[in-house]
Amino acid sequence: MTTLAVLEQRDGVLRKISFEVVTGAQRLGVGGGQPVEAVVCGAGAVQGLDQVAKFGADKIVTLTSPAFARYAPEGYAQALAERAQQGGYRALVFAATATGKDLAPRVAAKLGVGVAADLTDLAADGGGVVVTRPVYAGKALLKVKVASQPAVLSLRPNVFTPVERPKSAASETVAVNVSASRVTVREIKAAPAGSLDVAEAQVIISGGRGLKEPANFKVLEELAGAFGGRAAVGASRAVVDAGWRAHADQVGQTGKTVSPSLYIAVGISGAIQHLAGMRTSKVIVAINKDKDAPIFKVADYGIVGDLFEIVPKLTEEIRKLHG
Amino acid sequence: MAEIVPAQYQPPLPLDKLILPDGAAGAGDRMELDVLIVGAGPAGLACAIELAKLAKADGSELNIGVLEKAAALGEDFLSGTAVTPRPCRDLIPVLADRDFPFRAPVTKEAVYLLTQGGKLRLPTPPTMHNRTFYVASLCEIVRWLGAKAEEVGVNVFTGFPAAQLLVRDATVAGVRTAAAGLDRDGQPTPGGTAPNDLLAKVTALAEGTRGLLAQTWCQWQRVESDNPQIFALGVKELWETKRPLDRVIHTLGWPLPRDAFGGSFVYPLEPNLVALGLVVGLDYRDAALDVHVLLQRFKRHPLLQELLAGGEMVEWGAKTIPEGGFYSLPQRRAGDGVVLLGDAAGFVDVPSLKGIHYAMQSGIFAARAIFQHLKNGTPLGAYDRLVNASYIATDLHRTRNMRLAFRRGFYVGGFQAALMTLTGGRFPGGRYRMHADAAVPRRAATGAGAAALSNGISKVDAVFKSGNATRDTIPSHLMAQPDVPVEVARFYAHVCPAGVYEATENGLRINPPNCVDCKATDVLGPRWTPREGGSGPKYKRM
Amino acid sequence: MKIAVCIKRVPDSETRVKIAADGKSLDEAGVKFVLNPYDEFAVEEGLRRKEKAGAGEVAVFCLGPAAAQETIRTALAMGADRGVLLLADKIPVDPFESAKVLAAELKGTSWDLILFGRMAIDDYNHQVGSLVAELLDLPCVTAVSHLEIDGTKGVAEREIEGAIEVVDFSLPAVLTTDKGLNEPRYPALKGIMAAKKKPLEVKPVQPGSGTLEIVALMPPPERKEGKIVGEGAAAVGELVRLLREEAKVL
Repeated sequence: MTTLAVLEQRDGVLRKISFEVVTGAQRLGVGGGQPVEAVVCGAGAVQGLDQVAKFGADKIVTLTSPAFARYAPEGYAQALAERAQQGGYRALVFAATATGKDLAPRVAAKLGVGVAADLTDLAADGGGVVVTRPVYAGKALLKVKVASQPAVLSLRPNVFTPVERPKSAASETVAVNVSASRVTVREIKAAPAGSLDVAEAQVIISGGRGLKEPANFKVLEELAGAFGGRAAVGASRAVVDAGWRAHADQVGQTGKTVSPSLYIAVGISGAIQHLAGMRTSKVIVAINKDKDAPIFKVADYGIVGDLFEIVPKLTEEIRKLHG
Repeated sequence: MAEIVPAQYQPPLPLDKLILPDGAAGAGDRMELDVLIVGAGPAGLACAIELAKLAKADGSELNIGVLEKAAALGEDFLSGTAVTPRPCRDLIPVLADRDFPFRAPVTKEAVYLLTQGGKLRLPTPPTMHNRTFYVASLCEIVRWLGAKAEEVGVNVFTGFPAAQLLVRDATVAGVRTAAAGLDRDGQPTPGGTAPNDLLAKVTALAEGTRGLLAQTWCQWQRVESDNPQIFALGVKELWETKRPLDRVIHTLGWPLPRDAFGGSFVYPLEPNLVALGLVVGLDYRDAALDVHVLLQRFKRHPLLQELLAGGEMVEWGAKTIPEGGFYSLPQRRAGDGVVLLGDAAGFVDVPSLKGIHYAMQSGIFAARAIFQHLKNGTPLGAYDRLVNASYIATDLHRTRNMRLAFRRGFYVGGFQAALMTLTGGRFPGGRYRMHADAAVPRRAATGAGAAALSNGISKVDAVFKSGNATRDTIPSHLMAQPDVPVEVARFYAHVCPAGVYEATENGLRINPPNCVDCKATDVLGPRWTPREGGSGPKYKRM
Repeated sequence: MKIAVCIKRVPDSETRVKIAADGKSLDEAGVKFVLNPYDEFAVEEGLRRKEKAGAGEVAVFCLGPAAAQETIRTALAMGADRGVLLLADKIPVDPFESAKVLAAELKGTSWDLILFGRMAIDDYNHQVGSLVAELLDLPCVTAVSHLEIDGTKGVAEREIEGAIEVVDFSLPAVLTTDKGLNEPRYPALKGIMAAKKKPLEVKPVQPGSGTLEIVALMPPPERKEGKIVGEGAAAVGELVRLLREEAKVL
């Protein structure tokens, strides 16, 4: 039985998340040597698609249609469901990105099943699949047995670090016919700057009095920018009360729970107590020049030193990663 | 300065802002009810349930509304707690004791006098032997009562704090609720809601300890009491423990200084779910005394270290308790269009610190008086007569002079003498308190003061554990005098268990979102007013 | 406009998660239940669309236990006209089974809009709205954070990573709502009283068992002790490596 790994492309270029999908799909085949078929929808050839072979795709398929210039929710769903219905697939694996979260349930419903969504782990289990997914905002993990044939799964981004397992993959392009769509993506536009709510951001970079003056927050804004729209700049109460930053940026003192994946506290020393609500962040990083600052007791990782040297370097490294 | 007299720095209650004529501009919705009850606590809900019962038996209908400032029932309620089911039986006779929302019955009990490293077991007071008490969570009691109230058709409006009295001449006509969504400067925002006016034939004020409108009415109508009401501050934690606890514990002595009066309680709701707290009279003399800090220290006593090792604190909270007893009750608790219930009236039994069942009983009596008033025009003063003829009055009268025993943490009579013998006179024979807490002078702290927190949970983290998620942009609800001296600012910082006040080089800094509505500030510091509904703590099982 | 809003009763976001004795579910003792926050945007949007159109109905549907009547009343207090509780002791693990029950209930009426919250804050499944749309063969747009409607044509905006997707769709349609779409109103005092008199129908349902089965509910892995990675800008490379490979947040 084959595992179908559904890749993502934007503007004709393969998105890096696709490698995570293939890596995750691989896990179902381990021990059984079951093949992974990588599939992508597009209007024509997708740039960078061949890279997927490096991560263990046995076959790479491009489903083409003129309707696929941009994400076409109904068209993609129809094409993928029809392919899956041809049979021989034990599972369909998507990325739980904004697009994947939209697409996977459509395909699943056409196949008469639900999606085991936003997974952090998966493994073959007899004829089925056993998966792990975070629930209650990450306060617990749910282990689920998926018996649907095929199983429709979506993987949480940034969990399945791509692992290279080069294969020589056969490539195929298939033109598909899809019905007229009732839902069409008209355009993709840039998100307005600074629109990300601190309470919703996946990455929060918070600054305290260690920044010395309001203008220096620019250094944090640049770091936030390097995360490509996922990051927001927060501020401690002290800094907001001093009038350096807007109230909307304040990370709660009285325990408003912010739960980003990554919380970077810059120039915040013991005022961590004011940020009690961020303790449920997945990872906390502290940057402070005082090695005895209480923040280091709460942080998972810390760097001691001058933030004005460290933060720009960090910005540079993050840009390289996301570039 | 060597001494601080807190009353010198407290602004008076602004009656002109707290009392509005019915029809005053500024309200959005206006609603008319038969009976309005302010506060969905044991007193308010018992009153509502009894009223509904009486109306039903009479074949009539009453439109009863209960206003509660918390976003959900129970969230602003906190107590020790050990209760007796007596008024519950009165309220809902068909239920058996086991159907009431209480936890384990108290079977074993121990009292200790603590020193820094040791403890001395004291004999169990006789009053504890013959009555059935249950350990309980007041939050759970309130939610249970709330469900019963809804079942009988009472309208409970959560998220609506009552901020002002509406009056017609000298009659209370209802209340105006607080606005929601104001910005930091107190200005309305587009997403906010305007205050609402609720009018009723009778308004029952059941706001709990240091109730704002109850105080307002008493001052306005010049209703006095023999002694001013006095208060204690209790700070409480709820722990999930690895070790089970099979008894109720009270302690006296360490870590309280000699001239502070109070004690602690340690109650198992379940063998591994323990409520513990420290209660201290607010007439203490050392301006640096900090009840929260003392509680953290208390937990380091070997008696508790063992119990709490490996456990987790799941909730924290604080609340004041009126402890003036009989002589501090307002001379009448009924007036034109209004009655005062529960803690707001001061119905707390001093030596045992029990108030919940008195609250419920007062609610039941008020309901009967209100019903007769609405039906037959009988004056509301009947409520006072019912209370005065009941066990509430006899109990409170019996213990009217037991303040000292009360200070020792819950004992009566001869036990006081035994204590003095055992402790070699360590506990003074007592001062007969006639002064309000704010009038008592405090020795100003020199330097940082003795009450620095070196271990345990910090105040801000504690506030987090109270479930407080008040928005940070909320306007300040506390009325402080401008330019308080730094010693007074430091005093406030120690008074408040929630870290609302800080003494900085620029003077007093106020962090209003931290406030957990314990009212200690209202007693000794800046006056408290209600904030938009849902602000403050969100207690679950306190 | 005839608008259906599907809502869910979920544990409050501040809930301290304790695992029940069966090892598979949440211990509900002391848990506060609320209307799913994302569903509030859906209810609010339904009310606004009806108000804008001048006439119509907003009906609220909820699959859940008897206590979910309180959740429906919250929506009624906000201004919805009537509610239907699809009564089931347990909400199915398999979202497709929930979708089937909801679709069966919605099928008989021609709705202009069927609104869902983007996801529930307890299970994070993020799919019931889409599944229902497929079962009813209706167009669907998910995670809508901005909406314009003109007759039978609609334009929605949704956030994708680092950008905004602008989507044209035709009505009738299923939409799932995201934060930023609107600011949900507080129920007014009069709304709370009126809610008690609005129709709330209770219909017992029997969801199927589906193809997903819970094996266990487990606590998350223990937080390890933190470490200082190094000093100065020189330590940045190592930090990034650790964040990538060990912490897996980059």
